[in-house]
Amino acid sequence: MGGSSCFHVDGMMLLKQLEVILERDTLINEIGFVHPSQLATLDRSPDATHYDETAFWNKDHKLAISTEILQHLYRAVMQEYMNVKKRLEGLIKQSIGKYSSDSPTFGSDSDHLLESEILKHTMALLILNSDFGSAWNSRKMVIVRKAQLSLLMDELHLCTLILSYSPKSQCTWSHRRWVIEIIGEKFQIMHEIVGQDSELVKQIAEKSKMNYRAWSHLCWLIPYMKGTQVIDELNKSKKWSELHIADNCCFHFRRRLLFKMLEDISAREDDESCINQKIEVYFLWKEELEWNESLISRYIGREALWLHRRFLSQCYINYFTIDHETCNSNGEDFHGIHSTLDDFLDKELELLLHSLDVTDNEFEDTQVQAQHATSYIIWISKQVPPHKHEKLQSRLQEMDLKPIMIKLCADKPHLCVSPLLQDYNSNV
Amino acid sequence: MEKLEGEKHVKYILSVEKRKDDFESLVMDHLRINGAYWGLTTLDLLHKLDCVDQEEAVSWVMQCYHEDCGGFGGNVGHDPHLLYTLSAVQILVLFDKLDVLDVEKVSNYVSGLQNEDGSFSGDMWGEIDTRFSYCAICCLSILHRMDKINVEKAVNYIVSCKNLDGGFGCTPGGESHAGQIFCCIGALAITGSLHHVDKDLLGWWLCERQCKDGGLNGRPEKFADVCYSWWVLSSLIIIDRAHWIDKSKLINFILNCQDKEKGGISDRPDNAVDVFHTYFGVAGANYLSV
Repeated sequence: MGGSSCFHVDGMMLLKQLEVILERDTLINEIGFVHPSQLATLDRSPDATHYDETAFWNKDHKLAISTEILQHLYRAVMQEYMNVKKRLEGLIKQSIGKYSSDSPTFGSDSDHLLESEILKHTMALLILNSDFGSAWNSRKMVIVRKAQLSLLMDELHLCTLILSYSPKSQCTWSHRRWVIEIIGEKFQIMHEIVGQDSELVKQIAEKSKMNYRAWSHLCWLIPYMKGTQVIDELNKSKKWSELHIADNCCFHFRRRLLFKMLEDISAREDDESCINQKIEVYFLWKEELEWNESLISRYIGREALWLHRRFLSQCYINYFTIDHETCNSNGEDFHGIHSTLDDFLDKELELLLHSLDVTDNEFEDTQVQAQHATSYIIWISKQVPPHKHEKLQSRLQEMDLKPIMIKLCADKPHLCVSPLLQDYNSNV
Repeated sequence: MEKLEGEKHVKYILSVEKRKDDFESLVMDHLRINGAYWGLTTLDLLHKLDCVDQEEAVSWVMQCYHEDCGGFGGNVGHDPHLLYTLSAVQILVLFDKLDVLDVEKVSNYVSGLQNEDGSFSGDMWGEIDTRFSYCAICCLSILHRMDKINVEKAVNYIVSCKNLDGGFGCTPGGESHAGQIFCCIGALAITGSLHHVDKDLLGWWLCERQCKDGGLNGRPEKFADVCYSWWVLSSLIIIDRAHWIDKSKLINFILNCQDKEKGGISDRPDNAVDVFHTYFGVAGANYLSV
């Protein structure tokens, strides 16, 4: 045993205390596992508590648990959980062979009791270890039979609580999606759910940077968003993104929102309202490109910003430019608001020129900026028709940028092979 | 001169195998079978698999088996899931004991988790993720039962998770992530479907994972982590672009992540070691002929 305590710790008794706390305070919004010495310093209410004050602290909807009792608590709740789990599975085997959500609900009192025991023990267990998938499964087994809105909202509340201190818990995010899917099928409140979860993810992302699971969850909600909600989200997340320019996740989220808009306009017939929509997306895209450029100029050498530009430019070239040389219209003619591919490329080359202005500068960030800019132009060159390469090459030659680009790519085999960096003259 | 401290890592793995009673160990119990796979494979890579009692290991694995459905749980009495089923099968292969399996039953469990669109759920509760596509395809490939699934649909689903940057995410439109990429590329390789991959484009994304310290990260702007020495490196090898990263710098990074006294490897230099990172560090080093 860990040599911390010299007297027997009654895990079962502590578990009962914890479960009573959880039952009485249904609005707990913060949980912490704290060292006993820290626990002792927490502000106590004058009223008597029904729990061991060296083990727990519960006030103002906050709960602290002493790190010293965790292993005892966990062992006790695992024991209780495995017992009720076996009983539940035995019951299911007895009733119908294969479990399905169409199964009749349990009728008897003892079955209701069993279900509430499952919920009680799994709540305590998951608060201690949110990655224990079997416990989430047991909750699903109980919930799927009832699926009342209040019960489902309680599940969301539990997930929110757990995510507040375990923001990367895969099982918790997955359970949340499972619950939301049921809500989506049975109740008409997806708009609110999307709004609520958008806020939740940003709160979590504030403390847990580049949280893949949190942002994946938000991306998962995009198909549930109606047209205006997509633009809303784009606007709402703009400020957040500006404050977190190294967070590739939030930019990926923006890309998904933008891409959804592109998909929506591509799928529709060319009627009056659709044209207006296309114009709206076109201007939105230009705005995003300008905003991205301002960030690139302000925050030197940030990879996520350049990657965002790769996407923006690639789609812009494919959907919104017209190549006069081949008289080829990439995408629709939006009644005069298209750009030419040449104009677009010229602008990007300006950006490159500006970003390569690092010759005498020894700061690491400016070197990185130059590298990103070089990668970016080579990336762009792969998005345009081959006949544009000569033009790009000659422009790079005119601007005398090739030598520095070749130097920057020296140790990057995937870039050295680019036609842009090859000897132009030998091709003539 | 830095070298791979094979003997120390063996010692570390064997010490971890004995159960610890502290809270940190208890909350890992649900993935013990994954941990067993990482530990045992590391021993095997270091040619020390015989340090382990094979019968005991196999018998414990089979205790995680669910007779009624054909799947494996992460520990005894835990619910079955594809993640644990793959580890179970992989462990049995290590010991060349596939004969203890009811192969038909296990493959039915796996194939039963394929959905209409070709994706795979992790278990009966339906979560979909390209990781599960890899688990299913890898598992059925080992068991020689690929005929039980719709391979074409499985491949199409994976391809639908390809992003404009060449990478793959957990579901269609999901952010590219080195771990997910490994799963997708691995699955496509096993099913002979690599022609769906733009190798230059993906190779580009993957080689950009190399950081200044020589290590590899899993996504843009993140710190290097030794486990990506596996996810990224093996993906690059599969698409024949491993020469796009600086191997000697990567080797140095992996070797620096070792605890040269007590054995084991951590995610980055001077952090605490664990079995997960020890496995991927040794596996990556193995590829680099260290």
